[in-house]
Amino acid sequence: MEPTGIGGRVTRLGFLLDSDSCIGCHACTVACKSEHDVPLGVNRTWVKYIETGVFPNVARHFSVMRCNQCEDAPCMTICPTNALYRADNGVVDFDDSNCIGCKGCMNACPYDAIYINPATNTANKCNFCNHRVEVGLEPACVIVCPTHAIKVADFDDPLNQATKIIGREDVAVRAPEQGTNPQVYYRGADQASLNPLRTAIAADGMIWADTTADHPTMPPDAEGVVARTTYTTSHQMTWKEKVSGYLVTKAIAAGVMLVAGLLALLGHSDVQAAVGVVPPMIAGVFLGLTGVLLVTDLKQPARFHYLITRGSWDSWLVKGAYILMGFAVCLALWWIGGLTESAGLIDVMVIPTALFAAGTAGYTAYLFGQCEGRDLWQSPLLLPTLLAQTVTAGGAVYAILDLLMDVPDPEAIRWVLLGGALSTAALIAVEITSKGTPHVEAAIREMTEGRYQIKFLIGVVVGLLIPAALVIIALSADSGAVLPAVAGVAAIVGMWFYEDSFVRAGQSVPLS
Amino acid sequence: MTDLTQYPPHEDWHDFTSLNAKAWPDRVEEHHSLVPTTCFNCEAACGLLAHINHETGEIDKIEGNPLHPASRGRNCAKGPATLNQVHDTERILHPLKRVGERGSGEWERVTWAEALTDIGSRIGAAMDEGHRDGIMYHVGRPGEDGYADRVLKSWGVDGHNSHTNICSSNARIGYQSWMGHDRPSSDFANAEVIFLISAHLEAGHYFNPHAQRIIEAQTKGATVICVDPRLSNTGSKADHWLPAWPGTEPFLLLTIARLLIESGTWQQDFVRRWVNWETYLRETRPDLPVEIESMTEAWLDEYAEYTPEAAEEICGVSGDQLREIAEIIGAHPTKFASHNWRAAGAGNLGGWQTARCLFFLNVLTGSVATVGGTSGTGWNKFKPAQPKGAPALHEWNELSWPKEFPLAYHEMSILLPHFLNEGRGSLDVYFSRVYNPIWTNPDGFTWLEALKDESKVKCHVALTPTWSETAWFADYVLPMGVGTERHDVASFETHAGRWIGFRQPVMRRYAEIRGEEITSDTRTHEFNPGEVWEENEFWIDLSWHIDPDGSRGIRQWFESDETPGTPITVDEYYGTMFADSVPGLADDAKAAGKTPLEYMRDVGAYAVPGDVITPYERIVAADAVADCVKDTDGVFRKPGTTGTWDGTPSTLKDMKLAPLGDGSPAVEVDGEIKEGFPTPSRKLELFSDTLKDWGWPEYATPTWIPSHVHHQDLDMEPATDGTGGNERILLPTFRIPTLIHTRSANSKWLNEISHRHPLWIHPEDAEKLGIEENGLVRVSTRIGHFVIAAWRTEGIRPGVVAASHHMGRWRLEEDKARSFGAGKAELTNDGTSWKLTRTNGMTGWESDDPDTERVWWNDTGVHQNLTFSVQPDPISGMQCWHQRVRITPGESGDQYGDVVVDTAKSRDAYHDWLAKTRPAPGPGGLRRPLWYARPLKPSAEMYHLGTE
Repeated sequence: MEPTGIGGRVTRLGFLLDSDSCIGCHACTVACKSEHDVPLGVNRTWVKYIETGVFPNVARHFSVMRCNQCEDAPCMTICPTNALYRADNGVVDFDDSNCIGCKGCMNACPYDAIYINPATNTANKCNFCNHRVEVGLEPACVIVCPTHAIKVADFDDPLNQATKIIGREDVAVRAPEQGTNPQVYYRGADQASLNPLRTAIAADGMIWADTTADHPTMPPDAEGVVARTTYTTSHQMTWKEKVSGYLVTKAIAAGVMLVAGLLALLGHSDVQAAVGVVPPMIAGVFLGLTGVLLVTDLKQPARFHYLITRGSWDSWLVKGAYILMGFAVCLALWWIGGLTESAGLIDVMVIPTALFAAGTAGYTAYLFGQCEGRDLWQSPLLLPTLLAQTVTAGGAVYAILDLLMDVPDPEAIRWVLLGGALSTAALIAVEITSKGTPHVEAAIREMTEGRYQIKFLIGVVVGLLIPAALVIIALSADSGAVLPAVAGVAAIVGMWFYEDSFVRAGQSVPLS
Repeated sequence: MTDLTQYPPHEDWHDFTSLNAKAWPDRVEEHHSLVPTTCFNCEAACGLLAHINHETGEIDKIEGNPLHPASRGRNCAKGPATLNQVHDTERILHPLKRVGERGSGEWERVTWAEALTDIGSRIGAAMDEGHRDGIMYHVGRPGEDGYADRVLKSWGVDGHNSHTNICSSNARIGYQSWMGHDRPSSDFANAEVIFLISAHLEAGHYFNPHAQRIIEAQTKGATVICVDPRLSNTGSKADHWLPAWPGTEPFLLLTIARLLIESGTWQQDFVRRWVNWETYLRETRPDLPVEIESMTEAWLDEYAEYTPEAAEEICGVSGDQLREIAEIIGAHPTKFASHNWRAAGAGNLGGWQTARCLFFLNVLTGSVATVGGTSGTGWNKFKPAQPKGAPALHEWNELSWPKEFPLAYHEMSILLPHFLNEGRGSLDVYFSRVYNPIWTNPDGFTWLEALKDESKVKCHVALTPTWSETAWFADYVLPMGVGTERHDVASFETHAGRWIGFRQPVMRRYAEIRGEEITSDTRTHEFNPGEVWEENEFWIDLSWHIDPDGSRGIRQWFESDETPGTPITVDEYYGTMFADSVPGLADDAKAAGKTPLEYMRDVGAYAVPGDVITPYERIVAADAVADCVKDTDGVFRKPGTTGTWDGTPSTLKDMKLAPLGDGSPAVEVDGEIKEGFPTPSRKLELFSDTLKDWGWPEYATPTWIPSHVHHQDLDMEPATDGTGGNERILLPTFRIPTLIHTRSANSKWLNEISHRHPLWIHPEDAEKLGIEENGLVRVSTRIGHFVIAAWRTEGIRPGVVAASHHMGRWRLEEDKARSFGAGKAELTNDGTSWKLTRTNGMTGWESDDPDTERVWWNDTGVHQNLTFSVQPDPISGMQCWHQRVRITPGESGDQYGDVVVDTAKSRDAYHDWLAKTRPAPGPGGLRRPLWYARPLKPSAEMYHLGTE
């Protein structure tokens, strides 16, 4: 987008949130609830309280939390249907009628600023009261504030008081490292209050509200925690077991076709059942399941076709949808090749199918990469890990098939399973032991030592180490198809546990 | 890009076009009428602007009124949350009458006419039996100025009872003993030093208007000092937070005073002109010459023990910090704005000395009613005369004004159930008006016992917008409007300026704007939700029912002048008030082409012109004092007033009492005749003759009175055998910015933000006392105990524990009297033993508002006030809220929320505290000093104890 405002900004209206003046009264919170009829349980804006120091040198700090009106708004990029968009006046706005409720924006936002409105099942956030701005009125939170601690920064107006302060005084923004270039500035905010990794809700909860499992917090004893969060709002985890399941089903779909392709390359494209017909059928079923999981995870499932009819090419959700469709076409052709015993068609389909299978497996790395709020998912190792998991899944499925039907070259399949499992294990080992951003390390701690430790261990032991061991025994002892098949089942079951720990841990790091 | 404004221009208020927020980005235009009114949540009376949708006829939202001089368009969270109170699905919509036993929760709907007839005839009967004292109106925060007083006066009933002695009696007497005005009016906006013994950035009187101006000053460089044993938001924003031991605040203040005196940074000339220092010297230091120069020596002697070193020991704050603060204060003469309202004042025995010692610093710095100083309420609060005022009462109700408390600042309301128990009287008709004494007052079980006893309280009428624990035990529950549903006039001393705000039923006004006819038969409940009414019209109609034919002499005060023989309408009433009694309003209205009433209906508030800076310096014309006698101190004494009374009872009947002061109009200062202060000396009273004459000579000057919870008297360290050591000071009163006592439980947005009040405890104390993180704590008082959860925080002084008083609301039936703050509870009783048990906390429920099913919180707090005995200060009558408690870990069987009380112990405590008093008569055989303010000031002869 072309910069249009002063200072090269696209965003032309921002906020100055003056913690020097803020008295923590929550008038803004309530005025916002009133202006937008925001339901209980969710917030467009709120006032976070933290406490620092030791008696009598103690302080409570207030900072107002909300959408940061980013120059590079990751919520807009990931939004598959342009429901989040930049309004003509530069405000990052949203349109309920376009939203399919995929919740991608909630993971893309590094500020916990977006929520699903339970009344509309669409994603909402602070939109600068653009319906008021349109008629010349300041946002509801601005006018209610007793101490003028919330000021509109009009970047086109050099005489604007907030613009002056932003230009000349010590101001800060939240999470500048995310590269979003936020246009909501804080004056006088305690550094820890803007960095959610530096504060935690203590075991005895908050100052005057219940603490739920959805309240974002670091563990109180985590390294780097220097202050106590005494008031904040809850933010529900958005992508859960269905997304973990989707990662597994599409790994199976893609993996089985990669192995089928390998068998075709090894000259087995004429094996009708185990190469020509069954793999695309299995892949088709799991691709279908992938679609079912994706659509049912939408808060507006009936709008899933907006991905095509209102699709935004910036979003990997849209690109992914086309990749999945392309993969489906490949499966159909392959299957026809199998049914018609046309080895030639299968040979022709090997390369495109493998590419679409790799795309199906790997596009999620790019989709997760658009989730700027989830540093764990931004890892460059995610793409190879997804591919390695896909190979594992393919090997696993074939190892199970080997028990049920005549599969060519079972030894190659076992090597595929072993190779997939070991390379996945190696990639995970590198991931969890290498130095990452504080967010990545916090997520990894949560995954490997925290709330998701058991799932993670099941994922690694059941999903990778046991299958690898079983396959090694099978390879060395040539013990038949049973052990590899058991390994295959374990690998697939374990994969879901790992994915679930990864998906949840990625969302476990507090962003506000 | 755009020139954004805060509010639609006033000329568009009758039809403002905006865009629907939910439809956006579709541009769906909406039309609203913006009708101003006044908030009815806290006492600040901020301006509101109701947005009434032309299509739906509903209030869509409530914003601030930009034309309100105090709130200036801004609000705290409670302003916009008024919308929740309007749309509350559980609100009381119709008059209800009890069916079955009191407290059984069975109600039948009655008409207003039925209720008026029954209540009116009961009142009439009490009057006919000569039992006017059996009629009582017990008000929470009134939120209005003078209307109810006028009603009672018209009835000839001394039945005003207030909440003041659970709130501000101490602060009032502290201020009044200096300057005659009983409330401070601080010009924070222009101050250079702001000294708060309270939490005015989040609570207290005039939170929003004060916070605006305190932060404005701080931004300009003012130093903000806050004294509070727990870290309030205010303490956190302050440049100096002084967490003094509770009850030692006067010591701290006198230490600062002494430092100012010692360093010579006090304003000697101001003191010379405006303080009754001659009296002080005569009374306390006859050995010194009566000259201003003697004051340094006299003060340094009197306050010799108040050194920074001693303050470290007594108050627990750094002596060096006090020195630094004294230097800052001394360097900013006339610009020292201070405030105390509740906090230390409301917490402690002798807490009234907090305000007295705090204002001493204003006096020493010459910051009295200056630009940037602290003035008195009477100069900044504008109370227009109520039309059709009846003459002074010829009654004295000893249930409210008992002789044990001759100096009580307002009624001894906390003792009412004890008085009823003792047989001092009974109540024929008891109105609880937006007031919840069972929950709010100390010793709620004694209230419950009294209110359940039909021989003591024959008819209890609860006037309330929302369910309360007290309303549950009433005979009638009559729904009264919230801020957008009632007429009232309010004015408060929020800043250096005078204003009045008009509260109005906005739907009634909207009907009027649309051209609907409002006649003398129209009633506000026709426009409000259901049949929710307002008190103004209720009192008018009730008065007609009390005196249908005029024979009781009451009806005349409620009769229209325009249409004799019919009840006066609110339009006539306020039309007269605004036309006749508000200087400048009639002219400004005329200039705007409106009647004064229309102007107020359209603008909502009015800044009353006139300079309020150093009004005591105003010159009084010689003619005005021509009939006076100048006394030896230069005070002009007016014949026929208190100032010239010789003490003979027989002359009382001809005496006219001034609303403030003793009726003396002026004082001579440096040869000029000046208005002075409304005190007997017309000056600031460093030495209070009144306190001396009424039996408290030891407190005639600013003094520290060790509190009933003084830390040095508490058992805080275990004995060598490990026993004891678990006494602590409980602060049960603090407010938070989002809630307002028992008025806000019907707001979902406010309760979502705040719904629990764990016991603040310093980690060091928690360790010593074996209190686990988040563990249950049993807090034992003299009369019982409650069980609450611990919250370890560095934000509280070790030795002190605290829990905000807003939470702990309860209801007895699952599906009745619901709110977002009251958890279901069970009540059990055996003799004098009472127990309240929490059944479950907050859970969602089905209603027309989908949000009631989205309630996600469970905690509703613990009702701690039930476990506090009455602890009236023997002078002010103020409930001394702080509690001396034992803190122990929860015991086996203890459940969160348990409250256990023995009301027999309450009675013992009552007797012990009553024994501290020094009862009337005072000088001249009086019940109360004639010059003291008092609601419904009766005729002077009623003050004489011999006149029953």
